[in-house]
Formats: sequence, structure tokens, C-alpha cells
Amino acid sequence: MLPCVENSVKVRRMETFLKKTFPWYGWILGSWFPMQYRKAFTILLLTVLLYVGGGVIVPGFLTLEQILLTLKLAAFIALFGLCQMIVIVAGGGGLDLSVGYTATLTAVLTASIMDGRNAYLGVALLVALVLGLLVGLANGALTSYLKLPPLVVTLAMADILQGIVNAYVAGKAITGRPSPVLVTLAARLTGVFPNILFVLIPVAVLAILVFERTKWEQILFGVGANERTAYLCGINVKKVRFLTFVASGVLASLIGLLLLGNMGIAFKDMGSNYVMPSIAAVVVGGVPLAGGGGSYFGVILGSIFLQALTNLLTALGLGDAGKWLGFGIILFAMLSVYAGNRRSR
Amino acid sequence: MDAARKGIVALPFEVLKRALLQPETSSLLMFSVLFGITAILQENFFEAKSIVRTINSFAPLILLAMGQAIVIISGGIDLSSGAALSLFTCVLTTVMKKDDPVTGVYALILAFLVALGTGVVNGLGIGYLRIPPVIVTFATSYAWLGIALFLRPTPGGESVPWFRVFYNMRAVEGVPEVLKSLGNYVPPALLLIAGACVLWYVVSRTRTGRYIYAVGSNIESAYVSGINTGKTQMLACVLNAILIFLAALFFVGQNQTGDARMGGPLTLRSIAAVVVGGIALSGGRGSVYLAIVGALILGFVGRIIFFANVPNAYQTLVSGIIVIAAIAGPAYATLRRELR
Amino acid sequence: MVVLEARGIRKHFGGVVALSDGNLCCRQGRITGLLGANGSGKSTMSKIIAGVYKPDGGEIWYKGRLVHYRNPSEAKRDGIALVFQNLSLVPDLTVWQNVVLGMEKSRGIFLDNQEAKQIARDILSKLLPGLDITRKVYELSPGEMQIVEVAKAIAEKPQLLILDEPTAALEHAQVKSLFAYMRALAQSGVAIVFTSHRLWEVMEICDDVTIFRNGATVAYIDFDREEKDPETIIGHITGEVVRPLLAERTFGEGSESREILLRARIRSRVKSLRDVSLELARGEILGIGGLAGQGQNELLYALAGSFPGVQCEVEMGGKKIILRRPQDAIQNGILLVPGDRQKEGLFLEHSVYSNMVFPKFGLPRHPVVIPEKKYRRECEDVVRLLSIKVSGLDAPVSTLSGGNQQKVVVGKWLSFNVKVFLLADPAKGVDIGAKKDLYEYIRRLARERGIGVILYASDHEELAQYADRVLIMYEGSIVAELTGEGISEEAITAASVQVR
Repeated sequence: MLPCVENSVKVRRMETFLKKTFPWYGWILGSWFPMQYRKAFTILLLTVLLYVGGGVIVPGFLTLEQILLTLKLAAFIALFGLCQMIVIVAGGGGLDLSVGYTATLTAVLTASIMDGRNAYLGVALLVALVLGLLVGLANGALTSYLKLPPLVVTLAMADILQGIVNAYVAGKAITGRPSPVLVTLAARLTGVFPNILFVLIPVAVLAILVFERTKWEQILFGVGANERTAYLCGINVKKVRFLTFVASGVLASLIGLLLLGNMGIAFKDMGSNYVMPSIAAVVVGGVPLAGGGGSYFGVILGSIFLQALTNLLTALGLGDAGKWLGFGIILFAMLSVYAGNRRSR
Repeated sequence: MDAARKGIVALPFEVLKRALLQPETSSLLMFSVLFGITAILQENFFEAKSIVRTINSFAPLILLAMGQAIVIISGGIDLSSGAALSLFTCVLTTVMKKDDPVTGVYALILAFLVALGTGVVNGLGIGYLRIPPVIVTFATSYAWLGIALFLRPTPGGESVPWFRVFYNMRAVEGVPEVLKSLGNYVPPALLLIAGACVLWYVVSRTRTGRYIYAVGSNIESAYVSGINTGKTQMLACVLNAILIFLAALFFVGQNQTGDARMGGPLTLRSIAAVVVGGIALSGGRGSVYLAIVGALILGFVGRIIFFANVPNAYQTLVSGIIVIAAIAGPAYATLRRELR
Repeated sequence: MVVLEARGIRKHFGGVVALSDGNLCCRQGRITGLLGANGSGKSTMSKIIAGVYKPDGGEIWYKGRLVHYRNPSEAKRDGIALVFQNLSLVPDLTVWQNVVLGMEKSRGIFLDNQEAKQIARDILSKLLPGLDITRKVYELSPGEMQIVEVAKAIAEKPQLLILDEPTAALEHAQVKSLFAYMRALAQSGVAIVFTSHRLWEVMEICDDVTIFRNGATVAYIDFDREEKDPETIIGHITGEVVRPLLAERTFGEGSESREILLRARIRSRVKSLRDVSLELARGEILGIGGLAGQGQNELLYALAGSFPGVQCEVEMGGKKIILRRPQDAIQNGILLVPGDRQKEGLFLEHSVYSNMVFPKFGLPRHPVVIPEKKYRRECEDVVRLLSIKVSGLDAPVSTLSGGNQQKVVVGKWLSFNVKVFLLADPAKGVDIGAKKDLYEYIRRLARERGIGVILYASDHEELAQYADRVLIMYEGSIVAELTGEGISEEAITAASVQVR
């Protein structure tokens, strides 16, 4: 009767069609497969297919170094993906497009503070924290308490931060280098393993623990799934959503430090290229954009898949163009599939 | 009714206040103030040449903002408009060959078809698949960027000489003198904007125009009333794409090149123009022509910043602050009213 | 001439039977009234005729033709118009644009606005003289909107016009002019179906009435042949008294031993709820009755501290508390089981366990790490206590039946120090067995633990059976109180419909 109902019928019809046409679709993802791992399994399968396919087409694609390089680059996407996930899970159309420029601004400011000295790392951390806090507070207050659309607010915030970077850069050249500790942490390898993985793994474990064992997870997922129910259970929905933006801002700012360590220098657009992949990773990782569900494990797998795809496209000589086109198409396709899923329930 | 009449007699101040609270009034007021300031700061502001230059520099944003306004009124938002603009310039300059005037015609046709295509894809996502508009167009913006980079990895490309008619008629040989002298006073940019206005004027007086407002205002009521909501939202997206196409014509006419990344910053500015113009982001409310006012306001702010000797680097910063101020102001007023 | 005849219409939603045997006959030029208590099926019937719902069984004959409408626009094309309750107006368009919405006519390429305005003016000048048709709909009052809604249906020039409670938001004078217009329409040959919860309106305007009870048509009265007798009609609406469980009924203890648990004073600035004050005794089940949508839900929200715009002050145990947010109520043991459990009570996609433990996290000083084992044990206890049928604690709530879902909503509060339970229509969409379980459990809770219960039920039979005292609400105020032996289903229904 209403548009959504009509659509759900179409979606169900499509599902039946798929199952009839491809018997293996029903077999692989049949009812025996645990629901919560289904999406993760699909992404894993896609990644493996990508590597096998890539190995056949491009010689030298399927090597350990390549895979580890993929993991290293994917780590940054996954870290930014954590920012997005925290905001998205709490629902209300949350998204944080300002993470890229928050990281960039932090990198630009702290590079000149540290200037290659470990002694000033503490100061840099403090600057990063304060900056992230300020951005997060502003985003959170505007979206949650003034009820403004998060996407527009954070996009405008990205512009403001970019403007500050531009203004800062316009006066003088960006100077300074990261402290050696950061470089070791973000850019170097231990044996064949990129050190950044030793950052990502604890973060991931912590995030997964928080998202599975603590009351914060329950509150976040509850607010995202049904804000009215959460409100009637005595949860301050506005405050929760406000805090997600603060968390995202602080995290993004800290990632800025790592990014600086990886690059060795700060430059104008160092963070902005991660915004789109971080959102795509969250979507590919099976977190519904409406909030209320999803796992960080999926987001990490999503990041790896996207980075592998990028690498393959680069190896094929398609570079930036292929990467953005691919990301756009994958995001659009995933959205149409998941949007349908959400309504057919 | 009676109370209102008493109010007019007793408290003209109240009436004034109410009129000022209308979004249209405040944007028009802001426009006139900024216009005045710019006119004072810029010495040759009212000279014909200077007016033409002013119009030329504001034209792309005006066209994009009008398109954005149509989509926003229909209950959507378009985060891909800047990327679409870049894509169209890349398509145009890739097809055209400098020495072969006919290629210009092919380019026009092909780019127009591409424009329709982008509108249809956005409309499909928003109207039929019913994915949240922000996220659909966020995804497509990267798709457009990708295609544009395929065509034109670095800024450049060729353009047939006659394409300059979209920028300056005097620069093209073979244009009748009458048109050339007309072009002195009525620059092509103004004609493109006028064309966009006429297009919207016609559409707004047909079913589609009425339904765009209805769908944006309350999609379920519109559906219950027998309106095809998916088609309506798709048409809004297509109209938007056509207006972006006009902006692309102007851009190529002016620069003779295509650039896959030039449009990016214009997306947020077009949304800002819509908001500053007084059109509700929630849809269904406001006139598309207000987007022109909004774009002019942003343009004049840029001018004033320029005259105030603030470096160009601050442009993005200021436009970001303006967007937040423009949407936060009314929201704050509503919040205050609710709390009271 | 018979325009429409519906025979043996059946319809169920999930496990709930809305209509078991619906019959209706509409004749040209006559106004047929549909009467019945809450949930008797009259609203479902009108929606089936208009193509909003598809019937599970039965036949609809329209102008001598068997019809099966799949959606409202098909019915519309055949000349059947249903007046929605403020569902089909677009707030940002003007009145006249709304009246012709979806059936605009063009002259050349442009819309013909002059004719559209003329149509709107013609209809509205009679329905609501003095309404400026160029105003935007969002500026109108609810009553004016309702009339525009009617005008929109009339503009389609229907042969059968269905008005589903159109007078709910109208003032007396507006009702009068609506009636005059309906009469004129009928005289021009339109068949009209009219439902209203106000008995006197039906008596005044209708030529005949069809009465529904428990999803079936129970009576048809033609006022041309039979007398207009309100007593007979109320008798048909309430039905014969069949109450085998009456013997089980226990009333609260005598009034001399009443210990007041809660005194509430509500000061309201909204229209849906007026200033109300009430008292609740320990162990008492206080029923709230009345027709649907008379402010009962709002009253419960106010008492739960979750109705902004209303100030609720309660006195409990000698303490005065102002409830500003849900947290205030929860910490004082006033716990709400909301009416729409799927939208307000549950996280449908989350597990039973998550749903049950969720309210705990709203408490201040809850440890960050969840003591999961302890909570799981608690949940298992609750599941056993309420005999919730579920495959496991990790099953999504959406897989449960309506009754078991409702038990989860009740169960999530049981680990709290409950003092007052607010129940909004807890048995809606719940099958009979689970309903009995639920009510028996609540009664035990009240009697044994001395908890006060405020129960709103749209089904008056439930109130009659379980409430110790019943307050009847009408348009946001409490208009009647029934106690002790005075409580019966008929008495509640009669008190609800006889309000002028």
C-alpha cells in the first residue's frame, strides 16, 4: 500500500528469483549458515576470489608481500572505519565526513611541533586530543542537539577544517616531520609484518570487546535500532549520539598522528582520500547505515577487500579512476541490496 | 483573523518581526545588504564590463544551486552535483576536436545523454530503490569522479572554438553582429540562467512541478493521493542533471578544458546556496528562484572577503562557516521556541 | 438501488482475526452508519471496501459486478472514495492544490489552476464557508484539515463515499455543515458510508445502520421502518453478557484498608490531554477506558515522564516528584509498557536477552562490563516465570509471536523495583491463551507484591474482567468513574459512547 510495502514485495520476489536461478545461492547462504557470519563470509569469499582472479590476470599479484602491503594500507581504512562505525551504529542518519580533514589538520599542526623529535610526542598527543575533542563536540552538538542533518554538518565541518589547513599552508610551507616513534609504529616493518598491524590488532580487539561485552555496545545498538524504545527505557538518546561524534573526532585526530608517521611529512590532502573508503568499508562490512547492528570484524574485512580491489585496479593500470569508479559502484550496489534487506524483514 | 487585525493596529512591530522571520525576507534582506557593500567597495561595480564579469563568475554556482534546490524540494539532496559537473566537462572536451567544428555538436548530444544518465541513476537510487538520498549521491559522486578520471586523468582536453559562444559571443567568428552587440549587455551566462529559469517555470506549472513539492512535503500522503513518487523524484534528479549540464557548457566555453576535480568544492557551495536562500532542507518548501538569491549571497560574500584583503585560502573556511551558520540559525530558533 | 454489497468478508492480521463475517449493503442516495465498539471490525471493513486491505475471503459486489481491488487507486477509478484521517494531505501545498491533488487537469501544457480553484471553492464554500483556499494546509487547524480531506474525496466525484470517523476532530458547527453537505450529496445520488464513535451523530444523519461486534455484523436497522432507539443500538453494540470468568473476579480489598500509593497531578498544554489528576492504591488495578484515542496513551506517557509539553507531578510515599524524563519515572519504580510494542517497546532485530537487559543500562552507575552470566540467569528466570515460548535467549524478538513479544516487554522491567506498572493496551494482537497468562500474572503481581497497576485496554471486556476501578476518558479528560459492582462491559461501553 505504501511505497515501502510495495518495494518489499519486489525484493522478496527478487530473492525467490535468485534462489531459483542459482541453486548454489540458496546452498551457500542457506538457512544452515549462522546469520551473523553470513555477511563476513561473503566478504571473505569475495576477497579470496579477488586475489585468485588477480593472481591469474596480473603475474606477481598473489605474493606474501603484496598481501601484507594490502593489510598495511587497509589498516588505515579500518581505523577510519571505526570512527564511521561508532557514529553510524547509533543511527539517526549519522555519518562523519569530517574525519579526513580532522586527521589532516592534526598531522599538519603536530608535524611542526614534533619536527622529528620524540620529546615533543606528548605535546603532539595533547594537541591531537584537544583538536579532535573540539571537532567532535561541534559536530555532536550541531547534529544531536540542534537536530541538523549529520551529513551536511560534517561536510561543512570538513570544509572548515580544510579551510584552516589552507589558511595555515598559505602563509608558509608545511614544515616538520613526525617523531621517530610514530614513524616506527606506522611505516616500518618488523620482519615482514608491517608495524601498523600491531596497532590495528589491539584496537580491533578492544573495539570488538567493547562492541560485544560492555553496556556501551548495548546502548549504542539500542539507540540505533529503535530510538523511541531506548528513550522509553530511560536512555538519553541525544547525549549518546552526541558522544559518538566526540569519540569519532578524537579517534580521527589520533589516526592523523599515525598517518603522519606513515607518510613522513604532512600535506594538504593526506586524510581526505580515506573518507570515502572508510564509509564504503563500513557498508561492505555489513553495518546497516540505518544503525543498530554490525560488527567491527566485518568492517576490517571490508577494508581489506576494498584495499585489495584498489591494488588490483592499480596493478591493471587503472589507477585512481578505476578505484573511485569501483568504490562508487560497489557502494551503490551494496546499498541497494542492503536497503532491500532492511525493508523485507 | 480578528486577533491578527488587532495585532496590525496595536503592534506594527510584531508584524515586521513576523515578516522578518520568513526565510525569503531574511535572504532577500541579506542579499541587498551584501549587494550594497560590494557596490561600495568595488569602484567600477556598475560598469557594463564589470557586471558581465560578476555574472560570469557567479553563473556555475547559480545553475548548480537551482538544480540542487529542485532535488532538495523533492525530498532529496544531491552530493554528486559537483562531480557530475566535472564529468560533463570531461565528456565534452574528450569528444571535441579543435579543428573539426562538427565534433562540438556530437559532444553536445553525447554530454546531454550522459547528463540524463546521471540523473536517472540518482533518481533510481532515491526514488525507486529508496536508499537515503545523501548516501546514494555520495556513492554516485565517486562513480562520476572515477569516470571523469578515466576520460581525463589530468585537466586539459580540446574544445571547438565556437563553444566560446557559451561564454563570450564576441570571441567567436561568424556570429552575427546583432548578437555580438547583444552579448555586450546580455552575457551568455545570463542567457543560460534565463534558460534554466524558463525550464523551471514551465515545469513548475505542470503536474511534475506540483508533484515535486507534494512528494518533498509528505511522500506518503502523495503516494496515497495516487502520485507516482518514484517517477517524480527521478524527474527532479533529471532536471537537476540538465541544469548541471548547462553549467558544464558555460565552464567549457570559458576555459576550453575539462577537469575531473574542478567541481568537487561546488557541491557543498550549492547546498549552502540553497540553505542560505531560505529553502528548507527537509523538502517541500521554498521557491527554486531563491537558490539564485542564495548563490548571489555566497558570491558577494566571496567578493567582500576578497576586497577585505583576506587571502583566497580562507574561501573554503568561510563557506563552511556560512553553511553551518545558515542551517544552525533557524534550528536554534526552533529549539528555543520549543523549550519555551 | 444497491450500489455495493459485501458478503461474508473475512480478514486477519497475523494471528488476530479482525473480521470473521462482515456484511454491508450500501444503497444509492442513502447514508449508512457503521457502528461498533473498539476493534469490532468496522474500520477494517471500510478499508477493505476502499481497496486498502485485501480480504481473506468473502465477496464484494459493486454495481452488480464482483470486484477485487488490489490498491486504493483501483477502487478510486471505479468511483469509491475513502476519506483518510489526515493521511493524504500534503502540508506544504495550498488547500485548493490538495483538493485536486492526483487528478489535476491541464490546459495545453500548463495545469488548469482556475478550474481547480473553482472546484475547491465550490465544495468548500458549502462545507466550510470562509476558509481561504489559498492557505497552506500546515497552517490549518486539525478540524479544518479533516474537512479539506473530505473535500478532496468529494472532488473525485465518487459514487460511493466512505467517511471513516470524519467528525473526530470537528467542532459542533463544523459537524452540522458537514452533515448538511452529506445530505445534499446523498440526494444527488451518492451512496455514503459513515462511521463515528458518537452515537448521536449516527442517529441524526444516517438512514440505516449496520452494527459490528467482534468482527461480525450483528444487526442491521433501517430507520425508515424501525424506530431510532439508542437503547436497542447500545444493546447490539455491547452484545449479550457472556462472562464465564466472572466468578473468578476478585475486587481489591475494601475501601477502608486502601493505602494510597500514588497521587498524580498532570498539567497539560497540549490538546490531546487535559489537566488530569488521579489516585492509585496499593494492589489496585485501575482501568482506563473510553473510545480509542481519547488521550489514554498520552496519560500513560505523562505518568512515565515521557510526554514533553505536559507537566506531571506525582506524590509517592510522602515524596513529591516532578517527572521530566523517563529516567525520573523509572528510578521511582513507575514503569511503562507502551501500546505499540514493535515501535516503542522492542528492538525487533535484537535478541530476547538484549531486549530484556536493555533498561538496566539506562541506570546511573551501571558497571561498564556487563555481568552477562548473572543477567542470563535472571532472564531465564523471567522467561520461566512468564512462560515465554522462545527457542533460546539469543533468538531475535521478531521471531516471537505477539503474545510472547508482549511478555518480553513486561519482563524487561521485572528485575526493577516495580511500584507502579503502566500498561497501554497490553493484549492488543495477543492470542487468547497468552492474554490470560499475562493478565493473571499482572493481577498476581498487584495482589501479592502490592504493586499499583494502571491499565488501558481498548477491549472493554478485559477492563471489566480485571480492573478494580475504571476511569472513562473522553477528549483528554476523565469523564466518568465506575467502581465495584458498577463495572461491566456494557457499562463501560455505554459510558464511552454516550458522552455528548
